[in-house]
Amino acid sequence: MSTERKPVTDPRTGEPLPQRAQPGYYSGFKTLSQQAFWDQATRDVVLRRVEYVPPIRFFNEQEAATMLAVVDRILPQEDRLPSTRIPLLPGLDERLFENRLEGYRYEDMPPDQEAYRIAARAFEAMAQELHGQSFHLLPTLQQEEILQSIHDGKPLAASQLWNRMNVERFWMLLVSDCCAAYYSHPWAWDEIGYGGPAYPRAYMRLTEGEPEPWEKGEQRYQWSPPADTLSGAAQPPAKGSAHQSHPGQAGTH
Amino acid sequence: MVHLGAMQKIKPPQRIFRDDEEVDYVIVGVGSAGGVLLQRLARAGFKVLGMEAGKFWDTERDWVSDEAGSHQLYWNDLRITGGEHPLALGSNNSGKGVGGGSVHWAAFTPRFHPSDFEVYTRDGVGADWPLSYEELEPYYELLEQEIPVAGPAWYPWGKPHGHPYAPHPMGGVGDVLIKGCTKLGIPVSAGGPVAILSASRGNRPHCIYRGFCIQACKVGAKASTLITHVPDALEHGAEVRDRSMVARISMRPDGRTDGVVYIDRDGRERFQRARAVIVSGYAIETPRLLLNSACPGHEHGLANSSGTLGKYLMAQAGNVVLGRFDELIRMYKAPPAHALTEEFYETDPKRDFARGFAIQTVGPLPIAFSKQMMAAKGLWGWSMRREMMEYNHWAALGLLGEILPWADNRVELAAERDQYGLRVAKVTFRLRDNDKKLIEFGKNKVMEVMHAAGAVEVVQESRYAHLVGAARMGKDPSTSVCDKFGRTWDIPNLFVMDGSVMPTQGSANPGLTIQALAARTADYLITQGDAIFNSASRDMTPPPVCRSLSPPDTFTSGAPHLR
Repeated sequence: MSTERKPVTDPRTGEPLPQRAQPGYYSGFKTLSQQAFWDQATRDVVLRRVEYVPPIRFFNEQEAATMLAVVDRILPQEDRLPSTRIPLLPGLDERLFENRLEGYRYEDMPPDQEAYRIAARAFEAMAQELHGQSFHLLPTLQQEEILQSIHDGKPLAASQLWNRMNVERFWMLLVSDCCAAYYSHPWAWDEIGYGGPAYPRAYMRLTEGEPEPWEKGEQRYQWSPPADTLSGAAQPPAKGSAHQSHPGQAGTH
Repeated sequence: MVHLGAMQKIKPPQRIFRDDEEVDYVIVGVGSAGGVLLQRLARAGFKVLGMEAGKFWDTERDWVSDEAGSHQLYWNDLRITGGEHPLALGSNNSGKGVGGGSVHWAAFTPRFHPSDFEVYTRDGVGADWPLSYEELEPYYELLEQEIPVAGPAWYPWGKPHGHPYAPHPMGGVGDVLIKGCTKLGIPVSAGGPVAILSASRGNRPHCIYRGFCIQACKVGAKASTLITHVPDALEHGAEVRDRSMVARISMRPDGRTDGVVYIDRDGRERFQRARAVIVSGYAIETPRLLLNSACPGHEHGLANSSGTLGKYLMAQAGNVVLGRFDELIRMYKAPPAHALTEEFYETDPKRDFARGFAIQTVGPLPIAFSKQMMAAKGLWGWSMRREMMEYNHWAALGLLGEILPWADNRVELAAERDQYGLRVAKVTFRLRDNDKKLIEFGKNKVMEVMHAAGAVEVVQESRYAHLVGAARMGKDPSTSVCDKFGRTWDIPNLFVMDGSVMPTQGSANPGLTIQALAARTADYLITQGDAIFNSASRDMTPPPVCRSLSPPDTFTSGAPHLR
């Protein structure tokens, strides 16, 4: 059993905010409600993502417990009702099980499968070394102190394991994999107000941020991250860190 | 029936050559260059076969309006990347499947400038090309008609010219670029040049502004050689053999090639006889194949007597500058590529570096944007969730900066092997002083534009775009791999024709120039006829420009405003 996680709060009162089926500022916007206007191939791909959660086959039970706790902190979802949380670990596990690559490996990194195995062991070893307890049972702050040290490229413990790879590159691989799982899901598109698939119907309102007839305008509200989190503020990478030399991975122009 | 866009359908079967049937040309890689070569040579009556490692797409069944679902478009096989400034590969710059990179390019189609062809003469850095702008210009005009290019009637940079199709309407990011540049007195080209239809042509519909250009255009409005040249090639007797990975080029004792050894779709090794071979695998796979083809008499790889094969690899600086606005932008709409400025393209003696850069619109979809936020702001956890809720308030502009060719930015063979048992490429990359100064100045200029447009927060991520060089053309056989037509210096019936032949790269997206070079080489091969197959003599006379080999519809619609 994992420990209780604190809720997001109202910054004016400090009171907990109720969990939402759909956080974000586009209440009532549902990309899936437009699926009749998508082409068949796109509908198949997106609906499979929503309806099919692949089994855990790459990570063993211990590794899966650790990594589930890790990805829950990389993209926390305590503001969502449990029934509308987006599964992150199964997609990562499936990628690793099938050994789907991004087309390259950095020379200072082991293969992705090996990197994740090492990391799962290392997160658990750090928890045991620092707190004498399993990573997935630690309170939020202690989990995030461990993660923060990986973000910073300065692991607090288990250095023999972390020495086997470029730690900052692993951090970016981990966050990228989590973001790819979360922001490929239509519930996340609803959260951020992204219109989603638009073939064959098209977009027609291209400027001034105007919504299409089936999109929604913004309805903002204020919220603060839970009081006990380290991940609530931007952490601009230090000059000269791998974050700066790690080039953008996606084609843009 | 195979769908190529929303309206075009073609019917297999196509011509199939037997293994023991000697074809005139085998083209390795049916991408930007390979597609154009295949079409020209087929129309001219040659027996021509395109080998493609990836599949022949059915755009309705295989392509989706979905960012994560488009992973299969890229070259995802293992490569090793390293050096002080390692390049991201895969989805960043490497296509797989018929159409190659032209399937996932954003389709910006600026020409190179006349100065690009004489960088060494003008600035004492980089290299000169073995041909001039004037030699390539007729092919720019031809390809802009064929694919065709939408853009303004008057394009002021380089050699001024106009475009055959009307410019596109602006999206939110284009508005940002225009606003910022106008405040600073910088001219901007709005609505192109892009190889995306602003009006329908033949069996291709106009753009629907859905923003998935780099996830492949299901609409068929964005040009790829899959829909612009390959159908006409098949119509004229070419074969495209997809899911066929060429393992090595076969050499005869007399120093000529006699074909290629390849792994077919069922995993069997086969040999295809050919009278000549053209390698069009782009800047990683082309040198990799030539290196993997090393054999007695060619111990360091084919066409490598100069020792320059794999060297002088270039990427462009592609920093992404992101600006957050109080108002909504919704940058996922409209083609990512729809406005740019080349005002800083040329060397400026007032700056402390040679050459220059362009500023272009980009439109990252949510996953790409989240990774940019990770790199630019160090976000994770709640800060990532919060910033992503602001996605619709952000706009993105891209720097496109010229990085000079350096010998030790290179492609070699790694010890690791791929699923075919072939040694994979190892890519090494490092920026030099001029490159760093250019990137610093360019990045700051783009950030200045973003601020001037009214952004309340401006951040950026380092990135590299495109890949060219690594099998460069030149005048001197001791410092280049091939001549100005792509004919290798060492093997008279072996050609290289793709982005890897470029000696320098300017700060223009390379796609149009790759296709123009391929069309010119096709004219050369057609003019030379059987001499390519039988003779080692090297005729360097530029061929006459052939306007009768263009695909249908080329001259029936769209007229350039300027010649």
